Amino acid sequence: MSTDTDSGGLDGALRDTFDWYPVAKKEFRDAIRSKGLWILSFLFTALFVMPAGLNWWDLRNAQQVPRGLQDFGLQAAISRSYLSIVTLLVPIVVIFATYAAVSDERTSGSLKVLLSLPFSRRDVIVGKVVGRSAVVGVPLAAALAVTGAFFALSPFTFKFDAFAWFVLFTLAFTLVMVAVFVSISGAMSTNLRSLAGAGLVYFYLSFGWNSLANSIGDLLANYAGVTGPLRWQVVLFVKLLSPTQAYRTLTQSRILGGEGIDTAMTARFSMFSQGPETMQTICGDVLNGQPSVRQGMFRNQTVCESAGSSVPPYFSDPAVLVSFLLWIGLAAAVSYYTFDRVDL
Amino acid sequence: MPAIELDGVTKRFDDVTALRGVDMTVEDGEVFGFLGPNGAGKTTTIDILLDFVRPTAGSAEVLGMDAREDSEAIRERLGVLPEGYDLYDRLTGRHHLEFVGEAKRADPDPEAIAERVGLDREDLDRKVEGYSRGMAQRLALGMALVGEPDLLILDEPSSGLDPNGARLMRQIVREENERGATVFFSSHILGQVESVCDRVAILQDGAVVAVDTVEGLRGATDTGTRLVVSVAPGEAEAAADAARAVDAVEGATVEGDDLVVSVDSDEKMAVLTAIEDAGVAVDDFETEEASLEDLFAAYTDEQRAPEATAGGAAAGDGDDDAAPADDDAAAEGGADR
Repeated sequence: MSTDTDSGGLDGALRDTFDWYPVAKKEFRDAIRSKGLWILSFLFTALFVMPAGLNWWDLRNAQQVPRGLQDFGLQAAISRSYLSIVTLLVPIVVIFATYAAVSDERTSGSLKVLLSLPFSRRDVIVGKVVGRSAVVGVPLAAALAVTGAFFALSPFTFKFDAFAWFVLFTLAFTLVMVAVFVSISGAMSTNLRSLAGAGLVYFYLSFGWNSLANSIGDLLANYAGVTGPLRWQVVLFVKLLSPTQAYRTLTQSRILGGEGIDTAMTARFSMFSQGPETMQTICGDVLNGQPSVRQGMFRNQTVCESAGSSVPPYFSDPAVLVSFLLWIGLAAAVSYYTFDRVDL
Repeated sequence: MPAIELDGVTKRFDDVTALRGVDMTVEDGEVFGFLGPNGAGKTTTIDILLDFVRPTAGSAEVLGMDAREDSEAIRERLGVLPEGYDLYDRLTGRHHLEFVGEAKRADPDPEAIAERVGLDREDLDRKVEGYSRGMAQRLALGMALVGEPDLLILDEPSSGLDPNGARLMRQIVREENERGATVFFSSHILGQVESVCDRVAILQDGAVVAVDTVEGLRGATDTGTRLVVSVAPGEAEAAADAARAVDAVEGATVEGDDLVVSVDSDEKMAVLTAIEDAGVAVDDFETEEASLEDLFAAYTDEQRAPEATAGGAAAGDGDDDAAPADDDAAAEGGADR
């Protein structure tokens, strides 16, 4: 993590290739000197290691660790705890690391210094996104590395592939969030407005999106007479447009693994919790699967298994990934119209 | 090729017109002073040169390139000290200079630049949050010098500087100009501009009211040299009559015990001789060059009169109501407030 300038090597090569590189480096140099970043690192580590650590501590005296828990402890930790921690916490951390990224430079006047140098406004935004992604991403990656080491040393089976996918999608999710919130910062004239805008977007993405998707489905059913598979196709489609939902379902699809399981199907299916009939429609008609009912402890549970054909291409992992990354494009478009083309 | 060419530049913000058809040419290699009271539109003009704001009408060219289309290429060759800027608190002076070096793909020598702008080596490696206003201004000036720019744009460069700092700043402007750089420099402190600028433009209410050399402006506004002669009490009127008899004298008035004569500086000995010849003993005398303060007052006053044209209208009040020239230190002292 050297911050010294050396004219050759990687630093020089990056400078020669990317016009925005000095901005990103400046951002990182600036932020690495703030204590908040180090507190962040610690916080992330504590939150990731603690749940698994507690679990392990409880089991330390057991004669034999249950086989399933040992086998699937990592996946269970990811899908039950980590995905929620990431989707709730990472955007908040990103907001605090980025809400002032551009608006603060605008109000203080340092933007005048920055833009009197040979940077285009796009260089400034891209540099900010990359630099601030590193600011959040480095402590996050450090925390994930500690978590990985914990699982490797603990009695839980460490599945490298599953964990690597989780890390990869988590960092991608961070990048998308940084892009969104930096673009909001560039669009707003003051820090306070930027914070308010970012907060609104956060609440909407985290808590409002699913109800939006379901409301659209209700509207279609009640007023347009759209029922059955089409209704649920629309609902799923809208759900998947949310970067938060996309991150969750992509990660789940990658960590599920197992013989003869269409992981994308299972992951999409788990995005719904409706009555048995609806769940059967979703499985059979929306996801091309084979629904079956299993006896649960309290009630019957519908499960969705592959019936030879896989999920339709527009609900597949690559399609979800594309829409996930489109958020970066959306952020770029926001910046273009609110920052590139306006008077400062 | 001119360094800066503005052609009919107009800028309207929502409800204010900041610039009304500004035409101005800054030639390559000159030191050009850009004067005007606060709010005249100086910073808006510079913002247009840097593509921070886009003109409503008209065109701006910098170094032969369109200010809007080729902004990045222009800024490669520019050194800028913006007005109302801020630096990055958590980074050191050295970081700032290195950052500008990277941006311009130049390889600056931070120590050498720090020394030029009068920043200690210890300060160079200190975080900027601990800098005084003057130190920040010195660093910002140093940042503008990185990469030997072809054009320096300095917006109110002496603000925050003590008299020594302001003197250093003028010296740097001269050095940069000798190196071959064009310097465009805005100020509302006229003493600053007077001693370094080849030509000046005066901006008032979003329009250029005069462009000339300092000497040319002096001639145009008739605020030439003032010769102040001390004579024995009661003899001032006689001395005034003697002075008015000299051809070169444009006017002679009695102010208290002193006789104030408007005359070209070359002719002052003739005036003194004429007074002595009339039998009045000259106790003491001094000459005062009209400052830009005077010129400025003449132009801006004239602006308020309808139908006034640059030059003539101000004639006559120049030597009456204008204050004597400030020396630099006094002018800079005013800037610190």
